[in-house]
Formats: sequence, structure tokens, C-alpha cells
Amino acid sequence: MRFVVLLTFAVSLPAADLKGSAVALLSQKCQSCHGPQVQLSGLRLDTREAILRGGKQGAALTPGKPQDSLLFRVISGGDKVAMPPTGPLGPAEVSLLREWITAGAVWPTEAVAAKKWWSFEKVKPVKPPVLADAWVRTPVDAFILQQLRARGLSAAPEADRRTLIRRAMLDLHGLPPTAAEIEAFEKDSAPDAYEKLVDRLLASTRYGEKWGKNWLDLVRYGDTSGFEQDPYLLYAWRYRDYVIDSFNADKPYDRFVKEQLAGDEIYEEPIAQQGTGYYTVGPNRDMLFKVEDINRVETMTDFVDTTSSVFLGLTVGCARCHDHKYDPISQKDYFRLQAIFAPIVKSRVFLTYNLARQYDLQENTRQWKLYDLADEFQRMKAPYVKRLRAEKLAQLPQAVQIAFATEEDQRTPQQKADFEMFTKKVAPRDDEVFSLLTPDEKAKLDRLKTRLLSLYSNYAPGPFSPSVTDSGPLGPPVYIPGKESDEVPPGFLSALGGGDIPPPPPGSATTLRRKALAEWIASPEHPLTARVAVNRVWQAHFGRGIVATTSDFGARSTPATHPELLEWLANEFVAKGWSFKQLHRTMMLSSVYRQQTKPSPAALTKDPENQWLSHFTRRRLEAEEVRDAVLLAAGTLNPKMHGKPVVPALAAEELYGMSQPLGNAWVVTSDPTEHTRRSIYMISRRNFRMPMLEVFDRPEGVLSCARRESSTTPTQSLSLLNSDFTRHQALALAAASLKGDESAISEAVFLATLARRPDANELTMARDFLTKQSQLLGSVEKAAAELARGLFNTNEFLYVD
Amino acid sequence: MYTSRRQFLTRAGQGFGFVALSGMMQENLLAATKAKRIIYLFMHGGVSHVDTFDPKPALAKFNGQPLPGSFGEGLVTSRIDFRKARMLASPWNFTRNGQSGIEISDLYPHVQKHADKLAVIRSCHGDAFDHAPAINLRTSGNQFPGRPSLGAWAVYGLGSENKNLPSFVVMSDGAMKSGAGAYGAGFLPAAYQGTAFRSGKNPVLHLASPDGITPEAQKETLSLIDRMNRRHFATREEDTTLEARISSYELAYRMQSEAPDAVDLTKESAATKALYGIDEPMTDDFGRKCLLARRLVERGVRFVQLYQGTNLGDDWDDAHLDLLGSHNKMAKKSDQPIAGLLTDLASRGLLDSTLVVWSTEFGRTPLAEGKNGRDHHPYGFTTWMAGAGIAGGRVLGSTDEFGLRAVEQRKDVHDIHATLLRLLGMDHLKLTYRYQSRDMRLTDVHGENEFTSWLLNA
Repeated sequence: MRFVVLLTFAVSLPAADLKGSAVALLSQKCQSCHGPQVQLSGLRLDTREAILRGGKQGAALTPGKPQDSLLFRVISGGDKVAMPPTGPLGPAEVSLLREWITAGAVWPTEAVAAKKWWSFEKVKPVKPPVLADAWVRTPVDAFILQQLRARGLSAAPEADRRTLIRRAMLDLHGLPPTAAEIEAFEKDSAPDAYEKLVDRLLASTRYGEKWGKNWLDLVRYGDTSGFEQDPYLLYAWRYRDYVIDSFNADKPYDRFVKEQLAGDEIYEEPIAQQGTGYYTVGPNRDMLFKVEDINRVETMTDFVDTTSSVFLGLTVGCARCHDHKYDPISQKDYFRLQAIFAPIVKSRVFLTYNLARQYDLQENTRQWKLYDLADEFQRMKAPYVKRLRAEKLAQLPQAVQIAFATEEDQRTPQQKADFEMFTKKVAPRDDEVFSLLTPDEKAKLDRLKTRLLSLYSNYAPGPFSPSVTDSGPLGPPVYIPGKESDEVPPGFLSALGGGDIPPPPPGSATTLRRKALAEWIASPEHPLTARVAVNRVWQAHFGRGIVATTSDFGARSTPATHPELLEWLANEFVAKGWSFKQLHRTMMLSSVYRQQTKPSPAALTKDPENQWLSHFTRRRLEAEEVRDAVLLAAGTLNPKMHGKPVVPALAAEELYGMSQPLGNAWVVTSDPTEHTRRSIYMISRRNFRMPMLEVFDRPEGVLSCARRESSTTPTQSLSLLNSDFTRHQALALAAASLKGDESAISEAVFLATLARRPDANELTMARDFLTKQSQLLGSVEKAAAELARGLFNTNEFLYVD
Repeated sequence: MYTSRRQFLTRAGQGFGFVALSGMMQENLLAATKAKRIIYLFMHGGVSHVDTFDPKPALAKFNGQPLPGSFGEGLVTSRIDFRKARMLASPWNFTRNGQSGIEISDLYPHVQKHADKLAVIRSCHGDAFDHAPAINLRTSGNQFPGRPSLGAWAVYGLGSENKNLPSFVVMSDGAMKSGAGAYGAGFLPAAYQGTAFRSGKNPVLHLASPDGITPEAQKETLSLIDRMNRRHFATREEDTTLEARISSYELAYRMQSEAPDAVDLTKESAATKALYGIDEPMTDDFGRKCLLARRLVERGVRFVQLYQGTNLGDDWDDAHLDLLGSHNKMAKKSDQPIAGLLTDLASRGLLDSTLVVWSTEFGRTPLAEGKNGRDHHPYGFTTWMAGAGIAGGRVLGSTDEFGLRAVEQRKDVHDIHATLLRLLGMDHLKLTYRYQSRDMRLTDVHGENEFTSWLLNA
């Protein structure tokens, strides 16, 4: 495996890649003993200077002369010492280092500073290879087939219609097709039936819910801010809806970038300014005490790291503390970026100006009224509270009564403990007080209650969306920690051309730094923006990016499997107006995408990870897809879009570990029909993930997640098998399937869950199962629910071919 | 035949906790050490060091006075002002214990008897003075959530000894101030996550069959799933992921018998239960947790994390207003169970291979909050360890004369994490996981002051 990869990129990629690969190799194989922590023989191999300086044995390397370089001799068997001690390097690795030293042993930092790292150079114009092969439907196919042929592999046959529609729907909607949808597609004899299907799926609003989820993973979205109190980010969902709507509207990606990074500085329309919610939906500790300084550092770090990672596909975090070891990003560069975000203050977008003002005015008046209302409640309660408290106290031991009677500073330690322990117990509850009121007072209480309710009966979230703006036209000074004499001006990464951001023109309300950043990133000339975006879409469709490290295009990135295809896709993407929907078409209409999942024997030996795409890669449903597919099959899926997060009912044991009282932290949505909406609308608390989503690898929403894990664990099986959720949905499906005899029921349950009829063997099996379970459980309905529960747990249900 | 590393790992991932992938990839990661597992006793809410394991006579001498000179400069917590608050003498006596003469306060009469087993580190320090960031820091090395916890790293590196049980088990009193992220897997695969064991017959979430489903019916349904899956697999035999999921249902079924057995305390003798204080009102709860911890490590669970204290009930943090009441109560609830655990492990020969760690997210201010309270204090506090070949009866490091700051042999959380991994036979520099293109470590870029050799060499 490793041999193939190294050989490939050593031969076929530009010279600059050599440096990255060589240095990555040193890092993997050598630096645990000759690195920043440990320097055996006084040698470290993590910077060029250190290698040239060498250790106790003298210089480790002579640029241009591998045979004169100690480093090369010890790794190639040319010295009495053989390194690394864990076993010799492979031939490809040795030749990589030989080439690298011959070429001058240039460190990637220098290589990229000289603008040679491939992903830092402008996207090249590339023409698809011309291959005479009927399999080639689109240029994508030509690029793929060229590589397959070079490796002695061939493409798999086209998948059948049932497989294609299930694959396309889960990829674009995150929901499987129903039996009726499959049948209609199978019967469509039009030559462009598949093209029409893809277009139809792209036109549906279900698309934004699936692709919005992908984006929310990247921008570490959550509905609460985390930490002990885990308070609500009350309006975060507006940003979630904005993301869904942006995908549905096929908002050009350059515009989407600009709205999120600097919507407030670039656009007048409130809708566009909503994008800056991007900055507000991450974790923060705003509500903790006396940590404003730490929180600010963390927030700035989050903005720089997340923005670089999401939009540029660069990991810059290392440069917060020191110059980046592998990429040409200096600590100064890091703080130049930070200076762009330093002026940020949180704000609100008024979605409708007049309504928003009116809302604020109503809130203002309401509060004023509430102060007086509460006064009135308290005056009415006061005599009864006093009486009840005295009565309760009288029930307690004499010692406790004395403790209460003693002045606070006169109490003994035991009395203090008693006072502490019993204070709550002697406090009268409202219901106790209210039961003692006179008829007149009760009437008054009712009037008060009515007034209170009328203040709130129309209460709802206001027409606001979370956003940011700058504190003013001058940003606060930014320094590298420890170098406070030297202010760092805002600017771009030197390796990508650099440049300072000038001060704003006179009269500007903000620094316009983020506007400059947004326009720089969203430029068609930017070498990374389009490449990173198309690669993320490729990963979602094919299971692996052309560059597998989708959020890292730096020197430590995985070499591109199809570098020319990446260039071509990036150019196409920009040329077609940064349209994601066009990009999906480009990928999905290819023959590559339509292949079967069955690998050929050759593929299994030559390319077990399927990076050359000789067949389609099977995937497991993602956490949300599992839940949504169960709801769809049960017929309970509520398709309502948008709105404030839904809190579904969970079993007490599932809520274990919540950091706050459930009455505050898990306020179950009062309308039960909301509980079966799509998972993207369920609340995502940072301190608590819904157990079923958690076990199926939903990320925590703290760090940007570019690729989810797809694990297989017994806790997944337990959850899908035994949770109340599965059971309730199975019962719902059973209730809807109870027509006719056991054959009919079996058919109905198969059609709902697997979107097909059982074959003859399966029908026999299902009928026998229903008979047996009816005996064991006492009713056909319960037996049918068991059939449903079983089929929800099958691999046919959980995987996409 | 495994056709690729991915498939190998998938297959290896059938059980709870994968076989260590980093460990597989890096020779010499696992060194021969005595510690095979850890029981980590986490005192939730913050235990006062100056009232437990770090005596400060100066506090009695200057009781009621503010700190001299500029001693309080640079120290911050949310509730007190170090320049104005007054010193508060410990209400408890400290006594010298065992041959070693280690001083432990009367809060821990049972633990005192084990003094010669303890290596007490009095020079712990951190920089987070709120609970959630401090708990995150103590468990994951970072104040922000989202990073894998110590337990997750440990089982990622060590792999599993019993695939019918989770390798990393957590027992808490419920509401953790940090949320469940404190024992999360962060960016590691979900398999390394701490599994919360609850009291009762079904310790693992969703272990029990749904209400009304008899064992026979459950078996019937599992059999249907298996038959359907095998038919599906017949045309997809090259994909070991599918096979792994088939096995995961078999495993889930086996767990339904094994896990309840692991938590069934009826099989323990009356003497053993008494040792832990089970059936005594104050000690029953934590006693059960400690006894369960022993039963779990006996069955090959690698990392058991116990929390004492909760955001929504009795907590060490009640010391804000009531040092005396809170610490009396919380110590009373855990002293005998902890001592019982040490005794029981030792008598069963398990202490040699089991590392017991006692810690908390921070200490408490030597200065008074209000009249009889202490605030959070991360600048100097105590952790102790026992078992797994540690030379006990010794003290490492110290705080200044008022217990304010760790001064000698200062140890931050990374040093402790590096040490714990080393005791388990792993090099904290080599136990890495590639995320966001960095080879992430539990100790980030720190851990240079680990003290394994001090612990092991008397």
C-alpha cells in the first residue's frame, strides 16, 4: 500500500511534492527519537538547519550529495549503523530521500515560500484525456479511466436502477427512496431517466437538509455553548436554516463564503448578513465568570483555525505557538489572520427592521410590567410565607430551630451546617401558599395569572438572527504573545501571496478586514478555495477525497489520487458560477458514480481501499440518516422544515449525565408531532448528544469535522435494537401494516423498510416469524412490530450499495 | 485474510474498543510495566488540598488574617479577592500515618491506614478555575471540550481484554458539570468512548430488551436479523465491514448476559460488602461503585473512572458556603469505600497490576469564601496514586507555606497524563492519532516533567 502511494507521487507529482513527502517521512520514521522532544545522539531532524548542523556524529546531510550524507547512508544500508531501528525503509522511501537530497534537501517551508507547493499555485487549465471507450460518458470518466488503465484495473458494470436511486437519494437527500419511487424510476424508459432523477432530487428542498448537515459539521454548529451551564444559543437555528436555504437556492459558493465571513460588511440584505452567524454558533464560555480574557483567546483561536480549515483547507493552528513545521505559515502570519477577526463583536441581524424594533419595544414594556406583577404576587404571599415557614420550622428538632434563631455570625459550625441543610426544607412552595388564600385573594390571584399569561401567550422568538460586526473602524492592536512591542497588522498568508489589509476609508463603520479576507478567499484566482470545495463534494459522493485529507491541502496532506481531475473540477466549478448543484450533476452523471459496488478480484488485490474507483464504495448510513430512514419507513416522518430546535422525548436512562436539571436542559417540545421531524432539526446540545446519534458517530460540534468516522460498535446495535425510539417506530409501522394475512403483512413491512417485496424464501421466513412471534407475544400486531424492528437492524437497511 | 489495513481495523473493531491501531503500527509502544489497568477516582467539584493531604500549619497561625505582602498577586477565582480574603485554618487535625508518617487529615480515617501505599503528589497545578474547563483539562489535557479523554486514549493504546464488556467504564452520580464529554472519545472513533454504567440490572444503555419483549422473542428477532444479514452478505463477501456488523449483534446478545453478571453484587460475601461500607447509609452508594470497579477490572476492563459528586446533588463543591459540612459528608461517603477498594485489591493480588488514582479538578482556596467556605483553587493541589508497583509512603513536591501555589516539583496535567500512560507501558510521545493533519497526543506538546521513575523507585 504505502509502496504504491510513495512510488506514485514520487514519480508523477511536481517536484515540490517531493519535499513535503520527504519531510513527512522523516517526521513519521525519525522524529520520535530525533525530534523536538528527544534528540538521541544530539540529533534532531525536524528542521533543515538542525539536520545540517547535525549531532554528535557531525552533519547529517550534504545537500545534493546523498552518498556523502550520513542520514542517507544509515537508511540505505551504506553504514555500519542502520536506521530506523524498527526496520529498514522500503525501496520507494529510500529513493524518495535520495531524490530529495539530490535536489538540495529543500524544506517545504522554503519550497512553498518560493510558491512551489502545488496547492498554493493557481489552478492549472487541464483538458480531459481523450479516450475512445464507450464507458466514458463525461470528462470525469476519462480522468478516472486513464488511471484505472494505468494500473491494470477496469471499471465495474453499471448498477441497477434500484441501487442507483437509493444511492442518489441518500447522497442528495439523506433519505432512502420509497418502494413507489423506485418502481417509478425502474419503469421510466426515457433515455435520460437518470438525468431527470438527479435534477428532480436537486430541485427538492430535502437537498438542503442533507447538504446543510454536511456544512454544519464543518462549522462546528451547536444550539448551546457548552461548559457547565451549557446555555442556549437562542437563535443559532436561524443560521442553520440560512445554511439549508442557501444550499436549496444553489447560492454560488463564492457568495456563500462572502456572506459568512463578512456579510455585514458587504451586503445590505439582512438575509445575506445572516451568514455571519458562522462566527456565533461555536462553543464558548461567555457565561462563566472572570474568564473574558481566556475566552477571547479561545474565540480568536477558533475563528482563525476554523476559517482556515473550512475555507482554505489549511491547518494553521500549529503556528499559534511557533512557525509551522511543515507548511510555510509563520507565527506572524497566524497573528496577521487573527488581527482580521480581532475587532469582531457579537450582534443581531434584524430580519425585518420594523418587526424587530416592535419586538424589542414589546419586550421592554413586558419587563416593566413584570416587575410590578411580581411585586404584587410577593406582597400577597408574604404573610402566608412567614406563617408557613414558622410552622415548618416548628416541626424540626430544637437544635435546628435554635440555629435558625441565632444571628448568622453567632452560629457554631454545626448550626451553620444545619441552617444550610434545612433552609430549602422550610421554604414554602407556591402551591402551599396559594391553597391558603382567601376567596378575595384567590380571585385576585386569578386576575394576576391571567395578566401574566396574556403577557406571554403570543411569545415567540423575535425576527433576529445571530451575527457579528466590528467594534468600529479601528481594530484593537494584535501582538504575538511575548512580543508586545511589535503590533501585527492584518493581512493574508505570505505563502499565498501575502499582502497587508489597508485601513478602511474615512467614515467606515467597520475595519473592512473581513471583507478583504472574504473577497480574497472567494476570488476565482485563489488557489485553494475551489479545489477544497470540490474535493469535499467528491468525498461525500465517493467516500474519499481526491485529496483524502479534505481539510488539509498543506505539506502533510495525502497526495491527490487524481490531481488533474481535481484541477479540472475546480475550473469547472468556477466556470459554472460556483454552483454546487452543477457540481453534483458533473459527478453523479458520470459512469464512475453509476458503478456497482462489487469489486473485481483484481481490484481486491491491487486497490483494496478503492482509491482508484474501479467500483463504487459502499457506505453506512450516517447517524441522522439512520434515524430519518426509520421515521420514513414507519410513516411518521414529519417533513416540516425550519424553526427552533426540537427537543424529543427520551427515556430517563438516555438522559443520564446531563449537566443541568432536565427541567431546564431538556424541555421536551410540547407538540409530539414535532418529535418525528428530521434529525437536523433536533436540538444539538454541546454537553449532551442524543444517544442514538452519538453512537452512530455524530460529531461533538466543538472542532470542525471534515469527515465523520464510520464505526461499527455493539453500542450501535444495542441502540438500534432496544431503544424506545426503534420500538415506537416499529409499532407505528406495524399498526399501518395490519391488513390481510401474514403474507400481506410481511409484504407491507418489507415494502416500508427495505422498499421491496420479499422473495419466496424471505416470505416463508417472515410468515413463520410472524406466527412464532404472535404466539410468544400474544398478538399479530406485536409480531409485525418485531418484524419491523428486525428489518430496521439489517445491513440492507443500514448500508448504501 | 484481511485485504487491507482498513478492513483489518474494521474487523478488529467488532468488540468494545478496537485493538490499538497506533500500538499495532508503532513497535515498542507497549513496554513491560506492571499497570494493566487504572481505577481513577475523580472527586467531582473540587476537594480542598489543605484540609486533606497537604497540611498547612501557617493557616492556623494566621487564621483570620489576609495574606502578607504580595502573596495573592496574580491569583484569580470567580468569587474571592486574594488581596482581601482572610486565611481559614483547617477545621481538621492532621496525623502522621504508617511507617512513612505521611500526614493525612482526620477526614480520611480509613485511607490513613493505607498511607504507606500512597504516592502523594502535592504540587499539582492548572490554570482553569471553573469546573467544566478544569474537568476537561484534567481529563483531556485541554480546557475546551472535544478532545479525547485519558480513558479513551488509554484503551485506544491498550486495546481490550474482554470484548464482551466495554474497555472504558464510567460510573458517576449523574450530572457532571462538564457534561459527558469528560469521558468522551473526542476525535477518536466512538468505540473508545467511556461507557456509562448505571446502577441496577442493566448497567449499559439499551442493554435490556424492549418492554414486553420476552427473551425468546428477542432471540427470535435477532435470529431474523442474522438470517437476513447472511443472505445480504452472501453476495458481498469481500466487505468485512458487513461481517463486523453481523458480529456486533452476536456480541450485543452475549453482553446481555455478561454485563448483568459483572454488576451482580449478590455473589459477593457479606465480609467483602462490609469492607466497602455497603448497606451502610452513608457509604452504600460509593461503596457499590468501588466494589463494581474491582469486579470490572477482574473481568478485564482497562479503565474504570468513578466520579463522586454531582452538579445536582451532594458535591465537593458545596464547600463554597460550607467547607465543614460538605467535606465531612463527602469524605464520609467515600473514605471507607476507597480504603476498602485498596484492601480488597491488595488481598486479591490485583493491586500489583491495578493503578488507583485519586484526584479532583482543583483544590480549594486556603482563604475563606464568606465565613466558612473555600473557593476553587487550581494553582496548587493534591493527587495521589497507589498500586501497580508504585513505591508508596512518599510525597512528591510541595505548595508554598499557605498552600497557594505549587512550588517544588510542579506537575501540570500533562505531566500526570504522561506518567499515567508510561505506567501503562505507553510512551506519551508515541501514542498519537492523526486528526486535522496533526499527530495529536493526549499531552499535546507537553508532558516533559513526567515522574514515572520517581514513582517506581523507592
